[in-house]
Amino acid sequence: MVLELKNVAKRYLKTPALSGVSLTLAPGQVVGLLGLNGAGKTTLLKVAAGLLLPDGGEVRLLGEPPRAARGQAVYLPEHSPWPERTRPAEVARLLAGADPRFDPARYRELAGFLEVPDRPFAQMSKGQRARANLALALARRTPLYLLDEPLAGIDLISRDRILKALVHEWRAEAAVLLSTHEVSEAEGIFDRAVFLKDGRVMLDTGVEELRAQGKSVVETFKEVLA
Amino acid sequence: MRWRVDPEAGPIFEQIADAVMAALARGELGPGDKLPSARALAEELKVNPNTVIRAFELLEHRGITETRRGLGTFVREDVDVDALKAARLREAARRYLAEVRALGLGLDAAQAALEEVERKDGTRA
Repeated sequence: MVLELKNVAKRYLKTPALSGVSLTLAPGQVVGLLGLNGAGKTTLLKVAAGLLLPDGGEVRLLGEPPRAARGQAVYLPEHSPWPERTRPAEVARLLAGADPRFDPARYRELAGFLEVPDRPFAQMSKGQRARANLALALARRTPLYLLDEPLAGIDLISRDRILKALVHEWRAEAAVLLSTHEVSEAEGIFDRAVFLKDGRVMLDTGVEELRAQGKSVVETFKEVLA
Repeated sequence: MRWRVDPEAGPIFEQIADAVMAALARGELGPGDKLPSARALAEELKVNPNTVIRAFELLEHRGITETRRGLGTFVREDVDVDALKAARLREAARRYLAEVRALGLGLDAAQAALEEVERKDGTRA
C-alpha cells in the first residue's frame, strides 16, 4: 500500500477535525476525496503528508510513519505556496537543486502541456496559477500525490487541462488522492471516491461499481453529504 | 470517430465498449482498424486509464478486439459486423416498441409511423 490511515483522529483545540478515519491507497489508484467545505479534507491530506501529526490512530506512507518517509509524498496546497514575484521556471530551478526527486525535463514537458505562462505568479490568473502549481507538483517523481482542491474556482479550460494532465501523467506505481467538490467534472478520473463529512468517512466505494448499481457519483454526493 | 461518455449514465467502461460496437455496426470502424491507445483515449475522455483498459478487456472477451503485443488494440479481422448490426437494430426496435406500447398502440401503428417518417424525412436522414 502507498498510503494507509487507520482510525486516524485529529482535533484542533477541542474541535474534532477527523474521527476514526481509515483509508488505503494502492499503487496506480486515483481516489477522489469528496466533501463540503469544513469536512476535513485538507486536514486529512496534511496528516497523510506528515505535515500534521494525528492525535490518534496510525498513518503509514509506504509502510513507514510519514515523517520518516518524507519526500515520498507531494502535497499540493489549495493556495499557491510560492513567492508572488517569482516565475514558475525559477521555482523549478530552485527545486531541481534542492530536491533530487524533482525532474526538470518532466517539469518542462508538464509546463508545455499545461500551458504555464512565463511570468511571475503575481501576474497570473487563478487558472494559470493552478496549472503552474500542478506542473511543479507533478514534476516530482514520488509514489504519492496529495492534491488539495486543484480544480476549485478556476476557469473551465484550466480544469479541462488539469484533468487531462492528471490522466497524461498517470503511472501504475503512483497513487493520487485529490480533494474536490467539483464532482461532476472530476469523477471520470477516479477509481474510488471517499465521501467525507464532519471528519468521518461516510462512504468509500469504487465509482464504476457505484455506476453499475445505477447510481451516479453526483447523486451519491448529495445523498451521503446532505 | 468521436468518443463521448457520460459519467451519469452507468459504468464508463461499458459505455466505451458500446461506443466501439456502435461504430463497428455503423461502419465508422472496420475489421483490422486500430483503436487509440488506452492512455490517449483516457486523456481525450478525461477518464481513468484503468477504465479504458477494462473496456478493452471487455471487447476482447466479446471477441471484438485483440491486443497485439507492443502494437496496440485492433478490431479483429473475423469480427461479425452483421451480428453487431442486427443486435443494435433489435435494441433500437425494443426501445421503439416499448414507446409504442406505452402509447397504447400496436404493431400496425408502429409500422405506419415508420413508413410515414421514411416518406417525409427519409431523404434528409
